[in-house]
Amino acid sequence: MSMVKSPTGVGTAARAVGATKRYGRADSAVRALDDVSVEFPSGVFTAIMGPSGSGKSTLLHCLAGLDTLTSGQVFIGDTDVSSLSDGDLTLLRRNRLGFIFQTYNLVPTLTAEENIVLPLRLGGRKADHEWLAQVVSAVGLADRLHHTPAELSGGQQQRVAAARALITRPEIVFADEPTGALDSRSSAELLRFLRHAVDAYGQTIVMVTHDAVAASYADRVLFLRDGQVVSEMTEPTADRILDAMKGLGE
Amino acid sequence: MFTLTLKGLLARKVRLFLTAISVMLGVAFVSGTLVLTDTVNAAFDQLYAGLTKGTDVTVRAKSAFTDTSTLGSPKPFDTKVVDQVRKVDGVAAAEGSLTGYALMLDKSGKPIQPGGAPTLGAGYQIDRKLAGGFTLRQGRGPQTPTEVVIDAATAKKQGFVPGDTIKVMFATGGQRPFTVVGIAGFGEADNLAGATLATFQMSTAQQLLGRVGQFDTIDVRGESGVKPDELRARIARVLPADMEAVTSTTVASEASKSVGEALKIFTAIFLGFAAVSLLVGSFIIWNTFSILVTQRSREHALLRAIGAGRRQILGSVLVEAVVVGLVASGLGLGVGLLVASGLRGLLSVIGMELPNTTLQLHARTVVAAVAVGVGITLVAALAPAWKATRIPPIAALRDAATPAKGVSRWRLVLGGLLFVGGVAGLVRAMSVDAQVAAAGVGALATFFGLTMLAPVVVRPLVRVLGAPIAGSVTGGMGRLNAARSPRRTASTATALVIGLALVVGITVVASSIKASVGDVVDRANKADLILKSASQFAPGFPSGVADKLRKLPEVGAVSQLRFGAAQIGGMTDYIAGVDPATVDRMANLGVASGSVAALGHDGVLVNTDVAKAKGLRVGSPFTVKFAQTGDQKLRVAGTFTDKTLVGSSYLISLDTYNANFSERLDIAVLVGARKGVTTEQVKQAAKVALTEYPNVSVQDSAELKKTQNDSVNQLLGMVYVMLLLAVVIALLGVVNTLALSVLERTRELGLLRAVGMTRRQVRSAVRWEAVLIAAVGAVLGLCLGLAFGAAFSRALADIGIVTVAVPIVQPVVCAIIAALAGVVAAILPARRAAKVDILRAVVAE
Repeated sequence: MSMVKSPTGVGTAARAVGATKRYGRADSAVRALDDVSVEFPSGVFTAIMGPSGSGKSTLLHCLAGLDTLTSGQVFIGDTDVSSLSDGDLTLLRRNRLGFIFQTYNLVPTLTAEENIVLPLRLGGRKADHEWLAQVVSAVGLADRLHHTPAELSGGQQQRVAAARALITRPEIVFADEPTGALDSRSSAELLRFLRHAVDAYGQTIVMVTHDAVAASYADRVLFLRDGQVVSEMTEPTADRILDAMKGLGE
Repeated sequence: MFTLTLKGLLARKVRLFLTAISVMLGVAFVSGTLVLTDTVNAAFDQLYAGLTKGTDVTVRAKSAFTDTSTLGSPKPFDTKVVDQVRKVDGVAAAEGSLTGYALMLDKSGKPIQPGGAPTLGAGYQIDRKLAGGFTLRQGRGPQTPTEVVIDAATAKKQGFVPGDTIKVMFATGGQRPFTVVGIAGFGEADNLAGATLATFQMSTAQQLLGRVGQFDTIDVRGESGVKPDELRARIARVLPADMEAVTSTTVASEASKSVGEALKIFTAIFLGFAAVSLLVGSFIIWNTFSILVTQRSREHALLRAIGAGRRQILGSVLVEAVVVGLVASGLGLGVGLLVASGLRGLLSVIGMELPNTTLQLHARTVVAAVAVGVGITLVAALAPAWKATRIPPIAALRDAATPAKGVSRWRLVLGGLLFVGGVAGLVRAMSVDAQVAAAGVGALATFFGLTMLAPVVVRPLVRVLGAPIAGSVTGGMGRLNAARSPRRTASTATALVIGLALVVGITVVASSIKASVGDVVDRANKADLILKSASQFAPGFPSGVADKLRKLPEVGAVSQLRFGAAQIGGMTDYIAGVDPATVDRMANLGVASGSVAALGHDGVLVNTDVAKAKGLRVGSPFTVKFAQTGDQKLRVAGTFTDKTLVGSSYLISLDTYNANFSERLDIAVLVGARKGVTTEQVKQAAKVALTEYPNVSVQDSAELKKTQNDSVNQLLGMVYVMLLLAVVIALLGVVNTLALSVLERTRELGLLRAVGMTRRQVRSAVRWEAVLIAAVGAVLGLCLGLAFGAAFSRALADIGIVTVAVPIVQPVVCAIIAALAGVVAAILPARRAAKVDILRAVVAE
């Protein structure tokens, strides 16, 4: 994996500085994130792993501006996410970020194509036809564009979501357990597409997963436990990841 | 199970309130109407009880029949009867009394005309005990022919104090000045049920009221120990055959009963509007419960899976309905008290002043409110509750809620049949005169047919109506969402359809009435001037007006018109007295057989339709029962076709009228200009001559049309106010549906926000959805309303609608306003949608 850049290099797509997230009151507080400082280099596919309650999803949500930190900062490029208003956050998500969730990724009333171009239309922009065609063919949905989500399989729906995440050419795509509800074949198709996006277009992807096979598609794996980054792995394989997870006590 | 339901309800107080409010307003209307009628009745009862206090027995002329039309106008009799009554053993005091028409003028010379209550003149009774509640509050009784005692309300309102001069008009002539020497009250009240009262020395009253040597009634007080019934019987024995003695309790209850009768029509009208509100409300309840049942299908399936029976599921939904109904009834009762004063205000806008007392909340009102509130809610929730029991336990394990089923075939077939049949009925009503039944049944069938077909109609309709906004991303989404659940959109829109169809339908009928009035005046009227009372509540105006006009050189012909109630074939009807010499020169009566000149002393002209129905021809005997003179054998002098100007199917000569009615007021006077004099000239001359008759309005036919239209508009305004409630309830339904839909789409909204939809865009999408739902209701309501209006205008040909005029601009404006009101309905749901917590929405539990 030659595309791995130095974590301290200039091409940083996102970073967290002293990120802390506490739930509940001071005396009975649960630390979901405990002073996490981490960087996500551009063009790199990063997987975040960890046992339940390790804070991996919280980290992703805070990085994406969906959740707020108790203290510390989060940057997308040079933008301090924690200082943005709701309106600016919306524009940030619409124009600079892409999302893939575990379930309920599509608007049921819209067709596949309408779902894909939704972020553009929300911003009043027209789709770049060439780019749309390229993304659609990459996810293999050219003949499914006019179907509604109800007429698509779970795997196809997730690929539509992936295409939507890429349509705005975002600086970074956040994926929250994207294969969580898929069978292994559909999972593989989706992950291959994400890998392709990184390799072919230099897309930056941050993916939370608990599946070692899924994480093995990434360039780099971060391991979290009790709200802290405990280790990091480059050029991961499924076996090495499983070993590392065992080391975390899962 | 019940605790589960109740806990669930309490956890959603806002929804409970929103749902209850749709029925609450209808309940408020019902209880408000009942409270108002009870209060007004109680007020009248108190008044009459007060008035008859101190009197044990009343002596009066027998009336051939008794109902509201005869009350207060008994035939006068000779004063000598009093002496006979005084001699009866057990009578402590007996005194004659007299009441008639006396119109007081305020300090600027304008008539003091109360709405819906008479302007009375009376003789002052010397025995103050007999006067009952009528007591002097200031000054003294009248002692000379130029002194008067006036009621406290008039004194207060117009600023009269003892010593002031007040002008009063009588049935026989113009203004006369009097000196106010006393102010009288009626127990606690300042006036007698809204009426004005001027009391004069008895002999003066007899002169002024045209009853020299006569009384209307004799008030009798018995010696202590003599029972009223016994006294009544003793007096009755000495009376002439055409007179009777009644106890004061009978007098009071007759009066109360007639007030009750008079109020019945208002009660019926108000309850009619309440029914409309409740119908609209029931659609909203039905819709809300349908949505709730759908949203809770997993919860219900889970309960079924762990062993709940169908009956328990049914029970839990119905218990929720009962609680909603109880909340609605409770709130409705409270608001009903406000509605009662609101309705009173509404009536006072058209000049109806009702007497007041403490608000009467009877047990019956409470029972009615609870029965209506709970009943309507239960009935409306029955179908959704039944649907809830059909959810299979397996649905709990399925991922998604069961998708909405299509519309069943039988529903389509039945709906289609109803709709086609209804339209056929409406078409028939539109093409043939006076088909009220066809119009009524047609309207109902069309409405219910459309209601059943609505889910099918909604999708294409939303698509078409939403086409202009489909280009914008939020508009497009609103359009898709409005068509998403056609049943939900359909039943939400139906609530609005009812309100709007009625508004539009009534607008069409009203504009037909206005057009008809114009046509009738043009067709039937030949007079240059039409004189009427300035107030629609005045019983008429003095005959001195006609006398004065006859003396004017500009005037060619003067024709007086009088009106009175009589019974024909056992039914009370109104009969018109006309001047045979002039009436057909002033009005086109369309005499078909016989002649006006043949009326004489015993003739009657009968409307051709009535003559046909009763098989009458010229010369046929015709018996009319007058209240004061009993059965009179008249003969048919002819038939006439056009009753629209005279307003009665029966015409008698003024001579015949005067012989049978003691009333001497003209209801209208028709004036023709002398040859060579223009209408404008004669109008100016008449106005100058009648300056001392401020209670008479002088109008040419154009002005007459205008004042007629004005009164139609005033009534229309009242109807609008009451229908507005139905429309408001319907919009609340839109709020409720949207709020529930937003709740259902929390995750979708979260997703949209996550991929970059701004709060403003979320709000806009919800707003467009609301506008489209409202627009569907508005368009359907508009179409139905226009059809209903046209059908009913034609169907009501009998009441004088001769022209069907379908206005377009006004109804379309109504429809557009209703659709735009969707924006208001969307405010809260849209705000809620925009506030969706993205994280909670998109992260799977």
